Amino acid sequence: MSAIAVARETAARLAAADAAGLNATLHWSEALLQAEAARVDALPIAGPLAAMPIALKDNIVTIEAPTTCGSRILDGYVSPYDATAVRRLRAAGAMMAAKANMDEFAMGSSTEHSAFGRVRHPFDPDRVPGGSSGGSAALVAAGVVPAALGSETGGSVRQPASFCGVVGVKPSYGRVSRFGLVAFGSSLDCISVFGRTVDDAARVLSAMSGHDPLDSTTLARSPMAVPRALPDLQGLRIGLPREYFPADLHPGVAAGMERTKAALRELGAELVEVSLPNSKFAVPTYYIVAPAEAAANLARYDGVRYGPRKVGPAGDIRAVYQATRGEGFGPEVQRRILVGTYVLSAGYYDAYYRKAQRTRARIADDFRRAFAGGVDLLLTPTTPTPAFRAGEKTADPVSMYLADIFVCAISLAGLPALSIPVGRSEGLPVGAQLIAPFCEDERMLAAAGAVERVVAAAEEVR
Amino acid sequence: MSIGRDDVIHVAKLAELAVKEDDLPRLVDQLNRIVDYVAQLDQVPADGASDLFLPGPEQVALRDDVPGSVPLARPPAALAPEFADGFFLVPRHGAMEDL
Repeated sequence: MSAIAVARETAARLAAADAAGLNATLHWSEALLQAEAARVDALPIAGPLAAMPIALKDNIVTIEAPTTCGSRILDGYVSPYDATAVRRLRAAGAMMAAKANMDEFAMGSSTEHSAFGRVRHPFDPDRVPGGSSGGSAALVAAGVVPAALGSETGGSVRQPASFCGVVGVKPSYGRVSRFGLVAFGSSLDCISVFGRTVDDAARVLSAMSGHDPLDSTTLARSPMAVPRALPDLQGLRIGLPREYFPADLHPGVAAGMERTKAALRELGAELVEVSLPNSKFAVPTYYIVAPAEAAANLARYDGVRYGPRKVGPAGDIRAVYQATRGEGFGPEVQRRILVGTYVLSAGYYDAYYRKAQRTRARIADDFRRAFAGGVDLLLTPTTPTPAFRAGEKTADPVSMYLADIFVCAISLAGLPALSIPVGRSEGLPVGAQLIAPFCEDERMLAAAGAVERVVAAAEEVR
Repeated sequence: MSIGRDDVIHVAKLAELAVKEDDLPRLVDQLNRIVDYVAQLDQVPADGASDLFLPGPEQVALRDDVPGSVPLARPPAALAPEFADGFFLVPRHGAMEDL
């Protein structure tokens, strides 16, 4: 099929998703899609992603479309450059299909914190798709695009992938350039991928990975290889961290994990129990480190460097900053900026930020020890429950933060991890998480491909 | 550690954030909940691990000290209302109230 034909069909699916009220897109147009298709059809070599339409979370910049980060404060902003990931995907033949809705500045676990309205779960409009990359996840789950980019700071791709029943892969920190990803928590941020299948996600990751001189935190390594399908998992040792299987785990999630363990055994893998004792501190650590970095990164939205300028009552420059930021940022972003500023302020730095950094080191040490002890991968649930109802957690920020309890330790440690669908509980998807040692992304993807082949992800778990 | 109304006003000022009077009670309540929650890190022993952990390359690769180019889609002059001699022209200091 020609890229032009793919573009036409993608536009029809995007229009249908919008008409159905998914609210997963922020910007797309048939004209832009046609231009992308014409470019792909003119490529001398088709490329590994030939004519694959890919949606982008709206914190990844492109020169053709606005980038809003789901915020009013970026009204009217259009980047003068493309993100490195976008340039590389285009070079591989992909088409940028749409900018996807998201929690404002990637802060949230439900995509209810977008200035442009909440994203609906594609299977149940009363539920959330997860977040913060909920628009991207919903577009893949609804079959609008085969793959989409999201971003992870503390689980923002794996958690919505689990809620929506698609594959979500976070690479090792530094394997994909952050150039052109709007900064939230710079020591945590990773452009990550949703796919219908492990192979789709792996091919997208492979195309955009590798060192980038425009991001000095990228690793000096060659791009990731797309792993070959493994016939079985003989010889693979998989650790089950006991802290990630609490007695009160949702029964549907627990049943999904039993199904996954059985599949791994069937494939020949050996399962062993391990311990990650400091993971219980991951959520409080994350909610100090990430807001602290966000408070610094979001200082640039002040009405002078970025943002539609508002003039405060005092009429001076600080009044401009305060009014612009007070009106432009939504409540969750304001709350995190306040927390981040508080934990970095004189008198509280040692009590909060320094302590969180020390705990982050202990969390990362736990993972290192587990892998050094002879396990090749770790298996955990991705989320403690299937997708929750819209509005269920918005009044209490801490209960929302706990939706990330199984994903954010991995982000703090900079490790690769993915979520694959392993079943449904009362019709809602359940995901399993595989975690690999640093830069062993390929090993993780290969194992996930094998599990995907034998697990009945669309069937109810019992 | 408890956060009061004045603390929120102080932190908002440090963060250059105008907070509405009506929002203060909610913010005081939510910030206290968050701070109470993260206080469980007091249980983490202070010894045994390094002070700082950062993922990524052990050594950040340094570029040659020459101006690099960012692949801009539009020339710098197109990015701001006024541009001359390689500089963006901005309002005179103290003239924001005239905008």
